[in-house]
Amino acid sequence: MVFELNYKSGKPVYLQVVDQVKAAVASGAARPGDPLPSIRPLAEDLRVNRNTIAKAYGELESQGVIETVVGKGCFVTDQASPLRKDARTRLLTAEVDAAVVQAHHLQIARAEFLRLAEERFESFAKRRARASQG
Amino acid sequence: MTPMTAETPAIEIVNLVRRYGRTEAVNGLSLRVEPGRCYGFFGRNGAGKTTTIKCLLNLLKPTRGSVRVFGRDPARHEVEVKSRLAYVPDQVAFYPWMTVAQTLEYFASFRDRWNRDTERLLVDRFQLPLDRRTSHLSKGQRTELALVTAIAAEPDLLVLDEPTSGLDPIVRREFIRTVIGAYQEGAPGRRTVFVSTHLIAEFEGLIDEFTIIDHGREVLTLDADTARARYQKIYARFASPPASLAVEGAQIVHRQGRELQFLVSGDAGAVKARIAAHSPETIEAEALTLEEIFVSTLQAPEVRA
Repeated sequence: MVFELNYKSGKPVYLQVVDQVKAAVASGAARPGDPLPSIRPLAEDLRVNRNTIAKAYGELESQGVIETVVGKGCFVTDQASPLRKDARTRLLTAEVDAAVVQAHHLQIARAEFLRLAEERFESFAKRRARASQG
Repeated sequence: MTPMTAETPAIEIVNLVRRYGRTEAVNGLSLRVEPGRCYGFFGRNGAGKTTTIKCLLNLLKPTRGSVRVFGRDPARHEVEVKSRLAYVPDQVAFYPWMTVAQTLEYFASFRDRWNRDTERLLVDRFQLPLDRRTSHLSKGQRTELALVTAIAAEPDLLVLDEPTSGLDPIVRREFIRTVIGAYQEGAPGRRTVFVSTHLIAEFEGLIDEFTIIDHGREVLTLDADTARARYQKIYARFASPPASLAVEGAQIVHRQGRELQFLVSGDAGAVKARIAAHSPETIEAEALTLEEIFVSTLQAPEVRA
């Protein structure tokens, strides 16, 4: 898993780590059972506070994306989210709302937005397929 | 990590004033560092950073105001305070006749705690020549030796005063990796870092919270993530160049033909929506890095044509 931090994104650093792990899982770059890098070497590599990585892993664990095995480290789970369907829908609605607002300001029309969403689903499906072959 | 406010702060400075003759080096400074945090103390040369740090270490007495380290007055409980902190200054001075090995022994003799494994690991990592006299070390090696003496003592508070200035980029990189790795590893929730620097970019990822000081006064104190969310540059291009465009909460810092660059220091989302209401062709936002926030805070932006 390759992490890249961007301090110009305005997004909290720990959330960037959370989102990149989630993207890696969604694209198949990280599969259930795969280990995550240990906190210390990852923090040293990215030159971020150790607590930032610990916070990101804590967040991923509470969302059910990863689990900690005592003495062995963190692993990607098989994605049975502990949250109920309506709670998950609510979480995603907030994200979609933000994208809709962004689309408005970028003058991206509704049809174009929906086409883009289709295309991104396709793109992730292809990456997952490639990852499972490789 | 959420700071636990009920805990005694690692550092608490209240209305600190320190004069040299008639000059006020520090002029009413207050700040508070929670345990386990990595706190940046940013200012230009001569802003009062080193004077403040010397008051923390009881190397200088405050003219007015109070300084507490772990809730203790460093002037009255000097031994207790100093046993819990380690300090790496800008100009490191060792006894020139001692070798590296002797210097390490000498420092260890003052400490209740001294981690031999950490000492060996870091001496290896930095490839410090144990039998060389400290007078024959390079500036980088002297700083590395100071860092070893600081970290092997496993202090609760690590005070760094311009630690990387004058070092080459490789040494700087290793220095920061060591602070993150070797120092924070032991008890990450309790290991507090207070770092004064003007080389802010290098410490960007390490800093949880910071204070910018200028002319001995606090100018800005913020959590690093909050700061980057709040301070943004917004680029907007318009179909026809607007003659004048006043947007509440934003300052125009650059103008080139149909393109305007705004600087936002409040609610970036709301300001972006306000600019968008003027129907620009494109609009993009970018967070300021801590270094850019430092520069923009200390230097009133001018509109350049």
